Amino acid sequence: MPEGTPHEQKVPGDLAQIPIIWKYELLRYLRSKRLIASIAIAFLVIGLIYVLPPALGHPYSGSRTDSRLTVEGLGSVGLPSGSLPFGSVGLLNDTGVNADTIVVSVNGTVVPKGTSWFIAGTHGTPTVNLPGSAVVLFFTDDLTESNVTASYDWTTSAQDFEGTFLGFASILIIICATFFGADAIVGEYQNRTGYLMFPNPMRRETLFFGKYAASMTAGIFVVALFYGSIIILSAITIGAVDDRLAASFAFATEYLVATMAIAYLISSVLKGTTGATVLTFFLFVMILPIVDSVSMFSGVKMSGSVTFAAGVIQYVTQSPYPVDSTQSVGAITIHAFYPDPAIAAITMLAYAVIAIVLSLLLFKRKQLAG
Amino acid sequence: MIELQELSKSFGPIKAVNHLTMKVPRGRTIGFLGPNGAGKTTTIKMMTNLISATSGKAFLEGVDVLTHPKQALRNVGAVVETPEFYPYLSPLETLAYLGSIRGMHSNEIKKRSHDVLEEVKLEEWRNTRIGKFSKGMKQRLAIAQALLHEPEILILDEPTSGLDPRGMVEVREIIRALKKQGYTIFMSSHLLGEVQEVCDSAALIDHGKLLLYDSIENIKNVTKVTKLEVTSSSEITQENIAQIRGMPNVRSVETVNGHTIVVTHEGPVDSRGDLLLAIQSIGIRVTGFSSIGLPLEMMYMDLVKESR
Repeated sequence: MPEGTPHEQKVPGDLAQIPIIWKYELLRYLRSKRLIASIAIAFLVIGLIYVLPPALGHPYSGSRTDSRLTVEGLGSVGLPSGSLPFGSVGLLNDTGVNADTIVVSVNGTVVPKGTSWFIAGTHGTPTVNLPGSAVVLFFTDDLTESNVTASYDWTTSAQDFEGTFLGFASILIIICATFFGADAIVGEYQNRTGYLMFPNPMRRETLFFGKYAASMTAGIFVVALFYGSIIILSAITIGAVDDRLAASFAFATEYLVATMAIAYLISSVLKGTTGATVLTFFLFVMILPIVDSVSMFSGVKMSGSVTFAAGVIQYVTQSPYPVDSTQSVGAITIHAFYPDPAIAAITMLAYAVIAIVLSLLLFKRKQLAG
Repeated sequence: MIELQELSKSFGPIKAVNHLTMKVPRGRTIGFLGPNGAGKTTTIKMMTNLISATSGKAFLEGVDVLTHPKQALRNVGAVVETPEFYPYLSPLETLAYLGSIRGMHSNEIKKRSHDVLEEVKLEEWRNTRIGKFSKGMKQRLAIAQALLHEPEILILDEPTSGLDPRGMVEVREIIRALKKQGYTIFMSSHLLGEVQEVCDSAALIDHGKLLLYDSIENIKNVTKVTKLEVTSSSEITQENIAQIRGMPNVRSVETVNGHTIVVTHEGPVDSRGDLLLAIQSIGIRVTGFSSIGLPLEMMYMDLVKESR
């Protein structure tokens, strides 16, 4: 204080203080190597997923020679017999077939395209929608009794290629929530930095949201890198990128918001950073998925579970979107449930809002009494 | 100005601070004393928004910190329980962080950071990550951050705790300099000599209750209990000691060696002369007669003993 009259310190408003907290918290993640570690994990997993299938004999593209076709009557694809000038229909049950490369042989003799056979949906032939990605061929003759083979080039579809990576997205998000959120609040108490921060002219809410914004920034950066890497690999390897990846990224971001909020809640409740970190990770990786798996046998869809809802990150890229099913194996009935995208979005949002409100209340009440 | 009104804090059945009421006028330096568990740090924590109060008010420059912490703390610098710093930041970055939160302009932060780091002798470490700092360096940095925004009020919780003797002297010098500049300083300490040396006034609490709050000068004047060291050229016998114990105003007698005793005397300053005459009258050839210990220490021991 200068000698003489006291001066008034003009303190920034609550909103103006949030970016200050955000900046220095982000610096923490950069300098503590957590950000680098999570990026390294993401790249390592992407690398393994990308390299392992071809290395184990499952390349992303190739050629098939003399692959036998299943040839049936028109009724097999729902068309009345005699309604079209075709005698039979053949199915190429393979993904990513390059239609321009198809060569059809009947009893060992190559038959010309455009006169003997047509691809469904071309040359005025009807479009046939079948589950999966089978290519439908129309034959002018009835070849149901003939030996029909086809040679063609194929490539894994962008949907399938990207889907193999997306299975890891939710785990990466959990890692981000653990690295960037689990000790954010409890660390101020256990590491005694609260003694430095709390006696400042700043509301606890400001500190909370500044920290949360920094955690989310770091997390979104890692997840965006993950999706960016998938896009680049898909463009290079398959030559195409599935539009639905954007929807998957949107759900992944929402899941990050929810898991980070829950990590903050755990951080506000517990007294030690180790406990908060371990609980956050195992809650999402083990505890909640175990609860979710009960639905497989009980037949109760766990739409209210945030980890069940997170399945939408992967399923949203599938076409058609998978539907719930039930299968009996002996005396056991097994149910397969898939989250409805709209309900999943609401569930994750609800978890995020409730967890943020609770953790903020707890943080405000938590005292540095030790 | 600091004003505490009926400030109380309970942890379950334990009353850590019990209806504490006191005023610290602007520009005064007050030493806040008490034994371990007396409620000193709890009081300071309530004054700095670290814990809530069970009841009462704590005004800092007229604003109740318990209800309006952001407004009340804008002109306060605090060092509570040797705070830890973010190890990934340097002192300059830490001061920039805290200065920004407190609304300082970047040029002002740069200038003041240089000044306060020089004041606490950390200038050459300004760009080193704090993770490598010793406890003493952190304590000095804690004082630097408290001074950064030139607050009206400084609240210091045992500011010399954990420092080596040289560091303690340096911190005391800093506090003395701040006192001259007119800061209002509220300082808790275990070190009675430190408080007597640095502060204008002292407040003593025990069991959360205020036992004494007065200027150091007044405390010196009203202190009744004194330890007097008596040295004789002849040997002081057990018989002599028994005789001294029976003299008026003598509370106890301890033998240091055959020629020296320490007499605990309770009474007005004038009666010490009577005691000297009485000791000489029983044949002891007194060559030294002086009070030992600090008046504040005597008062402290006396009041805490009574309180318990």
